[in-house]
Amino acid sequence: MAGDVGKVRLRVPQTVKAGDVVKVRALVIHPMERIERDAQGKIIDRKYNYIDKVVVTYLGRPILAFDTTQSVSENPFFSFSFRATDPGPLKITFMDTHGGTYEGSADIKFA
Amino acid sequence: MTSEPRLTRRVVLQGLGAAGVVVAVGGVPGPAAAADPALGVHETAAAGLKRLFGSRPIKDGASMMKLEVPLIAENGAVVPVSVDVNLPMTRQSYVKHVYIVADQNRIPVVARAAFTPETGAAAMGANIRLGETGVVRAIAEQSDGTLYQVTRDVKVTVGGCGG
Repeated sequence: MAGDVGKVRLRVPQTVKAGDVVKVRALVIHPMERIERDAQGKIIDRKYNYIDKVVVTYLGRPILAFDTTQSVSENPFFSFSFRATDPGPLKITFMDTHGGTYEGSADIKFA
Repeated sequence: MTSEPRLTRRVVLQGLGAAGVVVAVGGVPGPAAAADPALGVHETAAAGLKRLFGSRPIKDGASMMKLEVPLIAENGAVVPVSVDVNLPMTRQSYVKHVYIVADQNRIPVVARAAFTPETGAAAMGANIRLGETGVVRAIAEQSDGTLYQVTRDVKVTVGGCGG
């Protein structure tokens, strides 16, 4: 699985009409490391690797962002909606606390 | 002369272009402005809500918000949550943030979605971890600071936050 880290899937409906509010689903393969504790229950202090920021751009403009924590599941899945006004690229970028950035994109086309 | 790092017209224009982009991006009232309080803090849910919202009243949002989360989460490591907020998304008034809070988690403020009027709809979903049985709440913050929330009790069979 380790080789799959950072793989992004971004799914948009196959047919989109101009002006529609479109529901999008996104997934990234990422361990989202949990807090670890020692035998005494003390938190082990290290820089845990988890996604703390997700940014969505449409036509090159940021339209939506998520701030996330370790309370989000491994291989996090997100969904959101946006209004499709023009054909163009929808892009999602996941950023983790170790400096990794993972991108996925989809082309919004009107039928 | 050619051995010097040349400050040609092209380089200058490229530099200016890049600066222009930065300025333009910075000027957009984009999602998640730098002023938003940080997440990922170990705290109680009450302390987290106080830190995020101060003493602002949180109104009942049952009439315009929908929070979907299973009543019984067999696996606390992956609990699907989705929030739909039926409020206007215009430049005058829009839903700025939606927070997901799991009261019993050690990091109770799970995620925040930041919207813009261009988003067109304030809806989000995510898979979250739940440490134990407790209240899950969704809180919507409008651009004028008005807060609405809906809550659900979720029974967790196997906790998903580990240590």
